[in-house]
Amino acid sequence: MPTHTSHLRRLISEAFNNLLPAVPYAAPENASINDLAVEVKNLTVHVRPKSPAVFSGVNFEIPLQCRTALIGPNGSGKSTLLKTLAGLIPNYLGDVKLFGSKPRLGRSRIAYLAQSPQLNPDFPLQLKRLVEMGTYAHHGWFEECHHADEKVASALKLLELEDLVDRSVHNLSGGQLQRGLLARAAVQGAEILLLDEPFAALDTKSREIVENFLFHKNNSFTVIMATHDAADSKQFDRVLEIREGNLKTIHACAGHKNRHA
Amino acid sequence: MLGIKIVMLNNLLSAFQEDFFLRALLALFLSGISAACLGSYIILRRMSFISTAMTHSILPGVVLAVLLGVSAYWGALIAALLTAAGIAWISSRKGSSEDSAIGVMLSVMFALGIAFMGLSHSWRDFTGLLFGSIVSVSSEDIAIILGTTFIVLLCLRLVHKELELASFDEEYAQLLGARPALLRSVLLILIALAAVACVRLVGALLTTALFIIPSTTGVLLGKNLKQVMFWSVICACGGGALGLFISYTFQGIPAGAAIVLGCAIPYFIIRIKNA
Repeated sequence: MPTHTSHLRRLISEAFNNLLPAVPYAAPENASINDLAVEVKNLTVHVRPKSPAVFSGVNFEIPLQCRTALIGPNGSGKSTLLKTLAGLIPNYLGDVKLFGSKPRLGRSRIAYLAQSPQLNPDFPLQLKRLVEMGTYAHHGWFEECHHADEKVASALKLLELEDLVDRSVHNLSGGQLQRGLLARAAVQGAEILLLDEPFAALDTKSREIVENFLFHKNNSFTVIMATHDAADSKQFDRVLEIREGNLKTIHACAGHKNRHA
Repeated sequence: MLGIKIVMLNNLLSAFQEDFFLRALLALFLSGISAACLGSYIILRRMSFISTAMTHSILPGVVLAVLLGVSAYWGALIAALLTAAGIAWISSRKGSSEDSAIGVMLSVMFALGIAFMGLSHSWRDFTGLLFGSIVSVSSEDIAIILGTTFIVLLCLRLVHKELELASFDEEYAQLLGARPALLRSVLLILIALAAVACVRLVGALLTTALFIIPSTTGVLLGKNLKQVMFWSVICACGGGALGLFISYTFQGIPAGAAIVLGCAIPYFIIRIKNA
């Protein structure tokens, strides 16, 4: 009986899936034409049309696989810069490119983690489902997600969350949730991680796991991480400081070269 | 005790021999399924006020349709869709929350209905609109409800992963390009369709209950969206059928009210059990 039921369920599911062809959320993009992950020229951002610029005339480049810390006091514009790169702030002046194309929504190669993710506190969701959502980046409208179990299991293992797969996301600690969101970015296959103060809610153990995930030599992410703790910046290849609307490079990619030598 | 059981069983058997009862049961099951599935999203997205707005804002459409001599269903549907479009438009503007958009559209549409009634000097009896009449559903009504349920389930199935994502983490949905604002509009249109179909059964005043009460029970029982929907449908259909049977047995109780009370029984049982 269960075999018949599952067969029938599969038939119905296939009929639905064949009803409409999958439509991607966004057009596929070309591979990067150089070894730069991010290029920013003369960037000026106003959060509202007539408000003063958060920062103006900012220039920087970030090579592929470079781990970059973005430091600066509260309100200096670190989050605004990350949101602009993620495509969440479409109105900016200047030239910004990630993997050779302008920031826009619907790019599976880029993941952004907000400082305080606005998750619906009423929505019942287990950790495994949260991490599975990363696969949606590769499945367009009307398309069912299949065969993601291995990817999800490996991301959960990487962030040491295997024992919590069935736990409701609302019963996770701040650190566990942050690791779950990073696992989702890993399943998404993101190559650039834009992280807004990810260490803020982490205890020592969670921090160690996240650092291992972000800085391990086998992981080839390009990381841009906002932080206002100067001590955090020591392990980065490059440190950029935003202060009073200007950006300066404090140290360049020496560590980066060593890591990939 | 045994005597009461035998009487109830006899009543149940005779109810199933009545054509109108079977038609009402079918209409209830069909609309219960669509209301419960949509209700799950309504509850989880904290949009309970929306179903009240949809059912009350159909008044100008119904009044105009009756005055023009066309089907009240189409008048109600157009008014509900206009309300959905108005809510989506207002809430997408800066400085307007969805909550205030619903409040504005509900009041404007209801006032428009009263104005139409006054202008035409025809204060007809619209109690049917307020309280519904499930026992007099026609085959045409059942066809409309069946079509509505099919459209609602098909749309929810086709965009379920996007709706789930946008309902849980709107910013991530936006980052992936899944267009949460478009999904909100689709959801509003589906709610408008289902609300108009339900009004014929339990009336404008009680349709909100069909969306809200079974889904609130489902949220207490389900650990994920699928389970919430499953339990919502069970509570809507089971509780609704119980209410319909009570109304059949005790003839003085209106069917709409009995259905809503039937749907509320599982909610209170679980609430008291979990207290």
